[in-house]
Amino acid sequence: MFQGQCGWFSSSVSRDLRQFWVAEGGTISDPRAADFLFSCDASHPDTLRIYQSLDYIEDNATVFHACYLSAVAKAEMKNSVALGHFILPPACLQQHDEV
Amino acid sequence: ATDTDNSSKMLKYRCSGCIAVGISLNSRNFSKLLHSCPYQCDRHKVIVEAEDRYKSELRKSLICNKKILLTPRRRQRLSNES
Ligand SMILES: [Zn+2]
Repeated sequence: MFQGQCGWFSSSVSRDLRQFWVAEGGTISDPRAADFLFSCDASHPDTLRIYQSLDYIEDNATVFHACYLSAVAKAEMKNSVALGHFILPPACLQQHDEV
Repeated sequence: ATDTDNSSKMLKYRCSGCIAVGISLNSRNFSKLLHSCPYQCDRHKVIVEAEDRYKSELRKSLICNKKILLTPRRRQRLSNES
């Protein structure tokens, strides 16, 4: 499923999800080279660094909640999980999302 | 609006952030996809607006930082020239 994709994982993401990514063919890289940015904690310092990066300001970096990977793992059709439902915005904005 | 209203609206307007699946999407292109979608659902609209506000604040503070960083260097250059 993730063949040829580079992912960056915040240290807030569990090892299991990282292993799932690798088992599905993904590789792990630093945040600048990654196609996918995964975190479980928007206020973790390594994730905060992404929110303050130029990539993020210029709309070139969306952080996704690593729950996406567990949803993919559980889904019968792995391709049917909408990535867009797993956006992880900066912690200071998150109270606005609970609409 | 009720839940059924919302979900039928979502189907009708097809928010790109909600219908897009598969590996063609990633952290690099998602934000642009959402910005270019004319039919954002309520949830994605809220996220995009909040993130855009945050990004413009950050942009402003980056410009301020740059000015602060540049000033002493320029001062040094001026004193070297004299
Ligand atoms: Zn949506």
